[in-house]
Amino acid sequence: MTNQTSLPTDTLLSVQNLTVQFGQGSGAVKAADDLSYTLARNKTLAIVGESGSGKSVSSLAVLGLIRHLGGQVASGKILFKSDVLGREVDLCTLAEEDMRHIRGNEIAMIFQEPMTSLNPVFTIGSQIVETLVLHQGISQRAARRKAREALELVRLPNAARMLDSYPHQLSGGMRQRAMIAMALSCQPKILIADEPTTALDVTIQAQILNIIRDLQAEFGTSVIFISHDMGVVSEMADDVLVMKASKRVEMGSAKEVLGSPKDAYTQALLAAVPRIGSMTGTSLPKLFDIPGQAPTEETPAISEVDKSQPIIEIDKLTTRYDIRGGLLNRVTHRVHAAEQVSFKIHPGETLALVGESGSGKSTVGKTIQQLVEPVSGAVRFRGKDIFSLPKEERTAFRQQSQYVFQDPYGSLNPRKTVGDSILEPALVHNIVGAGAEGRDYVCDLLEKVGLSSSQVDRYPHEFSGGQRQRVCIARSLACKPSLVIADEAVSALDVSVQAQVVNLLMRLQAEEGLAYLFITHDMAVVERVSHRVAVMYLGQIVEIGTRQQIFENPQHPYTRRLLAAVPVLDPGNRPDRKPLEGEIPSATRAVGDEPQILPLEEVATGHLVARGTKGFDGLQLA
Amino acid sequence: MPVIRFITVRLLQAILVTMAVTLFVAFAIRLTGDPVVMMVSEASNVTEEDLARIRESLGLNQPFLMQYYDFIKSLVTGDLGDSFFRGPVWDLIAVAMPATLLLAATSMLVSILISIPLGIYSAVHKGGLADQVIRVLSLVGLSFPNFWLGIMLVLVFSITFPIFPASGYTGLASLVLPAVTIGIILTATNVRLVRTTMLEILSAQYVMVARAKGLSERKVIYKHALRNGAIALVTFMGLQFGNLIGGLVVVELVFNWPGMGTLSVEAIAQRDYPLLQATVSILAIMIVGVNLAVDLIYGLIDPRIRVA
Repeated sequence: MTNQTSLPTDTLLSVQNLTVQFGQGSGAVKAADDLSYTLARNKTLAIVGESGSGKSVSSLAVLGLIRHLGGQVASGKILFKSDVLGREVDLCTLAEEDMRHIRGNEIAMIFQEPMTSLNPVFTIGSQIVETLVLHQGISQRAARRKAREALELVRLPNAARMLDSYPHQLSGGMRQRAMIAMALSCQPKILIADEPTTALDVTIQAQILNIIRDLQAEFGTSVIFISHDMGVVSEMADDVLVMKASKRVEMGSAKEVLGSPKDAYTQALLAAVPRIGSMTGTSLPKLFDIPGQAPTEETPAISEVDKSQPIIEIDKLTTRYDIRGGLLNRVTHRVHAAEQVSFKIHPGETLALVGESGSGKSTVGKTIQQLVEPVSGAVRFRGKDIFSLPKEERTAFRQQSQYVFQDPYGSLNPRKTVGDSILEPALVHNIVGAGAEGRDYVCDLLEKVGLSSSQVDRYPHEFSGGQRQRVCIARSLACKPSLVIADEAVSALDVSVQAQVVNLLMRLQAEEGLAYLFITHDMAVVERVSHRVAVMYLGQIVEIGTRQQIFENPQHPYTRRLLAAVPVLDPGNRPDRKPLEGEIPSATRAVGDEPQILPLEEVATGHLVARGTKGFDGLQLA
Repeated sequence: MPVIRFITVRLLQAILVTMAVTLFVAFAIRLTGDPVVMMVSEASNVTEEDLARIRESLGLNQPFLMQYYDFIKSLVTGDLGDSFFRGPVWDLIAVAMPATLLLAATSMLVSILISIPLGIYSAVHKGGLADQVIRVLSLVGLSFPNFWLGIMLVLVFSITFPIFPASGYTGLASLVLPAVTIGIILTATNVRLVRTTMLEILSAQYVMVARAKGLSERKVIYKHALRNGAIALVTFMGLQFGNLIGGLVVVELVFNWPGMGTLSVEAIAQRDYPLLQATVSILAIMIVGVNLAVDLIYGLIDPRIRVA
């Protein structure tokens, strides 16, 4: 090994023609294919791509951890200037012993899932101390002091106590901060962040992104930021590398790639990204433009809302979950998942129910679908309370109201053909008969959701995630519903697929006059699809109104914060916003400790806003 | 204090379990025949009056529930009374118990020493030759009846090659064969358990994080992964203790080991009610006690349980 440096001085890391493969011989799959990129000092390189594009794999190769996933580097080089080893090295061929001096010391990584990244049986402190002692050879005592400083850097409250806390005592956002503290404790030259905020709520995401940015500025760390979220990338990146099917599509400065992309794939990817604020001035939902598809090939698929009678009316719905404990297993606490929630949906209308995790939005959907019993309140379907209906009419209501779940992988029976899965509910409700009639019915539905009738005998594993979600939508349509509850139905999908599925939902709404309850945390999608929006926080609606009222004139401080926290795809323009500090409080309360109901007052026609911010203690809203 | 409440609940459970076990044993042994007839079967010219007198002196003329009550009283006061034939029960147990505990602990140790390294090696080198050999061997081990394995070991190591004594307790050398017999039987299941547990844990995100910190593979496996694996392993080994005691009874007989198992079987053969009731109750209390201890250790290993 020569000491001669072949990398330019401002380049820290250079990946050259890297090919990573899993498996051997003819069955080998390339997870990175002839990939090249460079990382400059003190810069952030974002690697973007859809699921399966190989964006995470290349970074694990940088750390030499590919073999632990069963893969191997087939060819290529990863050149890195190591101070610890005092020379430029190829990380692909470096001895494991030397590699260990680089891992966690010069190159550190934070992972996507903060809930599973920390070892549950060791304290936060001991996990940070371990890294420090290993790489810096300092005493336990000195390491503990440094660990505390690291926790203070990521703005964890009460860092001294945090040292002795176990991971399960921390929320997701706090764990991710602890993880960042651990990764940065040895002041690495490169920080690899693999979807570090994907599993977090949008307000918490804003906090974490801010911390990464601040610490980068303070220590001059170079960051490889892996993400599928173009908004986040736009806020973080200096340079962007776009990947598709294990290959590099294009690379350049964030401004070039996000602002004026050259490659058709990048253009398509960016077109599919819902951009908050792009709908300002329009009152109705709008289809996504998908390049390659004529935008007006069909009638403008926006439905008319029939305002005569609401299809469903939720009246002061309250749903709570009991938590039992103690010697006699009595109810000691209750989760106040939904408190006095009221709204109406008309035929042909989409009401978006938005909120962060724990806000109770899914509970409302499940209560309407009679999957959960409410404590009080009424759900009136075409004027009749569903909880006091006789049995036959309840069954009829179940047919009229259908549910599409978040996870298209878990909600289809793997041992049934998709045809059988779609047909089953229609048979249950006697909508069609079995045999040829049922088969024709299912084939029509498959074509309607953009799949082929020749796929009717296939099994779920033969479909991609987006196709499975189409199957789930076809299944919900099989009962000829008038109301569809879509619970995070597009959240698990890649943006391009998400745009197609959202367009499909809107077309079906126009054709069938469907009403949607669209439950989601994604404000940008909401702006596209909804006629009206309800914002939930800790089980209560804090603001409800038309989409324009909520997005163009938000009144409640929480709604404003929620909107402000959404990362905006605006290349070259980094927002300088003060992030919302603090944690989202828990909706779990002791028995007898009733939450105060925030009264709603009308500020404009149909625009209701909760008065006050009581119960928002954890978040600093002002 | 949640810990104190927890222990209280478990102690109440333990008492209930012991009551149920002793009641069943006391009832079942009385269905097998009259001990007094057995005692006097060798003697001639025994009259009905003689039999009645003996029964009265042993308290066997009392109703069953009365006899059971007396036994429970003796158990609670700690005075276990006299065996029908062999003097104070306590004296017999004081000899048998240490022998059984020694054998149980040694077998457990043998099993842990073999199964943890083998199971981890198998998990780390999943699909390799060693993994497959280990899995086949553990299947073979599972298929052995324990007494058969004991007999084979005796044939090889005390008869063909007289290295270890075949029976009785005459020093540490005589511990080897019975401990290895039970240890191997336990190892067969434990290796599989360690393997699957470790496989699951090694694919966890925090293991990858530990590697990304630059820790050596040994530290990743033996510190970060094994500590998590211990949660499942300790639970299983606690549950296994019941099986261990069951296996011990048979293996003690094969090796003529002077422990609780041999003592119980002798008591059954002689219809020695007080002795049998005492040995079975004490074994039951031991099993319940070990499980209680496991639950407490569990809390020490897993911080999530400590708080809850």
